[in-house]
Amino acid sequence: MKKLAIGIYVLFTIALMVWGYYQAIYVAPNDAMQGEIFRIIYYHVPSWATAFVALSVSLVGSIGYLAFRQNRPVRAQMADAWAVAGAEVGVVFLTVGLTTGPLWGRRAWGIWWTWDARLTTSLVLWLIYVSYLLLRRFAAGSQMQTLAAVLNIFGALDTPIVYMSNRWWRTQHPAPVFGGAPGSGMDPSMVRPFLWNMLAWFCWGVMILAIRYHVERQHQKIAEREAEAALTA
Amino acid sequence: MDPAAILDHQFRVAAYAVTWVIQLGYLGWLGLKWRAQKRAEKQPR
Repeated sequence: MKKLAIGIYVLFTIALMVWGYYQAIYVAPNDAMQGEIFRIIYYHVPSWATAFVALSVSLVGSIGYLAFRQNRPVRAQMADAWAVAGAEVGVVFLTVGLTTGPLWGRRAWGIWWTWDARLTTSLVLWLIYVSYLLLRRFAAGSQMQTLAAVLNIFGALDTPIVYMSNRWWRTQHPAPVFGGAPGSGMDPSMVRPFLWNMLAWFCWGVMILAIRYHVERQHQKIAEREAEAALTA
Repeated sequence: MDPAAILDHQFRVAAYAVTWVIQLGYLGWLGLKWRAQKRAEKQPR
């Protein structure tokens, strides 16, 4: 039953991705000012939104790990698995955002990159979470998970700064399309393709997050088994 | 065709392609890791 539900979810997600692509390429019109290059929005913005969701899961996981590590070791390990899964999936989506952005910027602004508040804080966020993953990969010992959880909590402070940066400061990056200044927004003919792609990328993100969590739990169980074997040897 | 429109098209295709290369590359790497761990799990103690 569980396998069937997973299969249906995967098929649903793939169908959504195909539908989202169709909406972005064949249904949405070209932007009046930017032409076809504006269609990058259908991949760029959902990637950032999904990255924020994944990083939020990671933050909650790290808080959970710190809360449960003394009294509930199994729950703490599960929380830690969510933390690492969220951070890694977040980095994947941040990487997509940081590569599609310059491709769009080169055509829209004439430059690949500029050190404005939005772009700089985004790059810093990516670097923080890459550091988190490197710490987990190369540090050893019983304190590693605790140190990683603390780094995650401090690193997460950059997330709201990234989100608010183009509201707080004047940036090369445009003001928010949704919920920005008066007059901001999207043509109604573009809203539906945009929302379909948001949904599709969100479902894709949930799918790879769940897979990554499962892989991490498997890794924890193997490590636990090896530790037990070493003790009894 | 307008050269600017051709460039826009190429950049848009590049952005979509990069997105899929990153996402499918990561999914493939996860799949390999999963398979390797499954094999390690089945190994006798």
